[in-house]
Amino acid sequence: MVKSESCVLTICDSPVIIWPNRGVYATPEEISPNMLCEDIHQWIQIDEQESAGKRSAKKKSKKSSAVSVINLRLMMEATKTGPLSAPILSKTVQKSHFLSATLPIDCVVHTTCNDTIKDAFERLLEALTHQLCQMEKVILQHMKGTTLLVPKPFHFLLPEPKGLVTVVYPEGVPDSQLETQRKELHQQFELPNDWPYFRRSNAYHFPNEPYKDGYLRNPHLVLTHPSLDNGKVYSVQGIYSYRHYMQNHMDDNGWGCAYRSLQTICSWFLQQGYVERAVPTHKEIQQALVDVGDKQASFVGSRQWIGSIEVQAVLNHLLGVTSKIMFVSQGSDLASKGRELANHFLTEGTPIMIGGGVLAHTILGVAWSETTGQIRYLILDPHYTGAEDLQVITDKGWCGWKGPDFWDQTAYYNLCMPQRPKVI
Amino acid sequence: MGRSYIVEDAVEGYLSKLCEQQAGSVTGLLIGQSSTQRDFVVTATRTPQKEESAATAGNSPDKEWVIEHARQVSRMLPGGLSVLGVFIITDTDSKDTLTTLRQLVFAVENLISSEHLWNPADDDVTDCVTLHVNPKTRKTFCRTFDVKDPKSMAKPADWKYQSGVCSSWSMVSCCINVDMLVPLPDNRTGTENMDTSLKEELKVWAHQLESGVCLIDGKKLSEDTELTGGQKRNIRQTYTAQILLTPDDQRLTDVVQRCGGSVSVRGAVHSRAYLHSNKPKVKLAEKLLKRDVVSTVATRVQMLLEELLTSEEESKGSSRVKQQTEQFCLPRRVFCPVKVSGPVCVCDYLFSDEGLSEVTDRLKEMLDIDVDEEDLDTRQETPAEIPEKLCVFSARVETVESLEPKRNNYIGVAMASAVALLAAAVSVLYLSDV
Repeated sequence: MVKSESCVLTICDSPVIIWPNRGVYATPEEISPNMLCEDIHQWIQIDEQESAGKRSAKKKSKKSSAVSVINLRLMMEATKTGPLSAPILSKTVQKSHFLSATLPIDCVVHTTCNDTIKDAFERLLEALTHQLCQMEKVILQHMKGTTLLVPKPFHFLLPEPKGLVTVVYPEGVPDSQLETQRKELHQQFELPNDWPYFRRSNAYHFPNEPYKDGYLRNPHLVLTHPSLDNGKVYSVQGIYSYRHYMQNHMDDNGWGCAYRSLQTICSWFLQQGYVERAVPTHKEIQQALVDVGDKQASFVGSRQWIGSIEVQAVLNHLLGVTSKIMFVSQGSDLASKGRELANHFLTEGTPIMIGGGVLAHTILGVAWSETTGQIRYLILDPHYTGAEDLQVITDKGWCGWKGPDFWDQTAYYNLCMPQRPKVI
Repeated sequence: MGRSYIVEDAVEGYLSKLCEQQAGSVTGLLIGQSSTQRDFVVTATRTPQKEESAATAGNSPDKEWVIEHARQVSRMLPGGLSVLGVFIITDTDSKDTLTTLRQLVFAVENLISSEHLWNPADDDVTDCVTLHVNPKTRKTFCRTFDVKDPKSMAKPADWKYQSGVCSSWSMVSCCINVDMLVPLPDNRTGTENMDTSLKEELKVWAHQLESGVCLIDGKKLSEDTELTGGQKRNIRQTYTAQILLTPDDQRLTDVVQRCGGSVSVRGAVHSRAYLHSNKPKVKLAEKLLKRDVVSTVATRVQMLLEELLTSEEESKGSSRVKQQTEQFCLPRRVFCPVKVSGPVCVCDYLFSDEGLSEVTDRLKEMLDIDVDEEDLDTRQETPAEIPEKLCVFSARVETVESLEPKRNNYIGVAMASAVALLAAAVSVLYLSDV
């Protein structure tokens, strides 16, 4: 029926309706099949999202998203031109099993500026039919007796030039049991086996969808990198969520900075699909330390600080993640750690928790020049107490690039550098 | 501040005629369309004579009979037309009559709304009209009751005759596909179960239709757009509608059930709704059309099942082995204009083994309309065709073959998908022998 003339695609938030199987007939009539895809935007009425950057005078140039998303809805036209024959009621008496399921179909096609609507819709229909076949396979594969699992599609953004790929996984089967499937996919797309491209939590997040939990993701992406002579930027890979003071109605102002940094790191492991455990609360973190014998039972519920060693212990105990500790005897020495930091972001790509003086921070990246030795640190500051406002956070430097003078030059620092498990 | 009823001239003539004819009291129904500002009465029809009571027995009308008449008449009204209220022609005292009328109108309305498979909308008018005509003085007393409120009191209303009330009404119509497949519970595949199962499915379908997108003449218009936009009074507007559906998003839990069989209804129905000429909005057109779609399918299914039940009753004596698959044609819809020159039509349903004369008879009995066979519009639907010539009252007896060896039948994929970049839905029907 996807191939039938009754198949209709409507563009969300717009009056445009297209019948792809009737020569891409569209309403309103002004839209012809040879129209460019990007012209569809003029028909879409979006809510005026607060365009960040209009308020502040000093506008740091932000990277604008080069990807724009058009949402479509697939429907069926129930009406036809008459007259048609009246209905027939058919009754069958036969012992059988009846199954009715609603399958969530979710297809994506990538188009370039020069593609016309006709091309786009042809590809979309191909994708739809292909997905239906995939779903059929998955259902039959995972069918046990009379129980059926609902197949659910996930989109993954693979490194160029492969782009967006859709995979259908059966609902209810955890990632741990789908490893063979993921291995096949890694082979099929010739991907290295050290990054979990195809875990469910790594599914591509479309730019126009807000995250349901309300946390900001990767606020550093809107910043401009410092340009150093012969310098390169090495930063965290994947996605993390920004954790800071006062979130979740937890008033940890003044003592919780290391906890928040640890939470940011945990969110990274959750997001990439390495763990399924939710980001731990302050209490859970404290309890974990009691459980490993590092602290007394009275520690739980207190407002005591923790440091890198504790962060390492918790990551190990709760997430099964090992971390390296780097000790720096005085803050000024951090300026010479460019190579180590760069290597970390290249091979591990995880956020780093740094504690020293009386403060804890998260290092998300480093800009370092091998020849001049110049260095800048991309810092995520857990001491922020405000709302999840990307504008404020980046303008005021709560997430920003800092120089070597950011550190207390005489204090000693410990860096906790989590190691990424090499699994898919 | 009561309601005002604009009534077709012909109704006045009809009521006068009834005043002259009968000796006892005459009851009947008033048919038309309500809107928030005004109500329009298009036609009236007297309660038909019951066969048993030859004479006009007494002055108290048979409530059950009036209600049954209303139920039958409701089935013959396309979208936009409904039973607005009850009239009575009697010279009994006004107060008693009012009580009778009140009882009648509440009972009629309750029955009719209980048969609706859709949810009432907030902007539905809930007032019903009662008209008391005194045949001696020819005085008319018109009052309304709010049937949503069991304690409501009579409110006086205006009753005004006018010519050509519906001459410039517009019509929205469409020809819509029906494709339903419902499982029947194990060991209970009788006609009553078909009825319950189908009713449930129709409710789901009604809900789907409610949220479906409606295009008028190929365009999606906003709800508050007015139709007929400033045309001359005499030009009749007809609009063709298209309905786009997405299945319910809620049905994400897969449901596998053992069943004893299935029943399906497949085909197409012609559906239409009439709109008054007082600046009707797209919202109204959509609502009335969608309701007509559901009720025409429901009515036909009901009629067929009633036929089946009666034939089952009659053939209870003979030992008849049920065939594995039976197919029945639903009746097709036939339209008849209320006034020879007017756009508004009532309808009736024609079974494949009936002739047009039966339609004219029914129209006369139920709606007191005299019409010739030539004036009936039978072109909107073609009769259903069953491939294997199995008709309703087939007397073939067939022994049931033993079940075929176990294999999986992938019977049909009924799909209705939605959303390309967000969740979409596909229904899959999977029947397997056990």
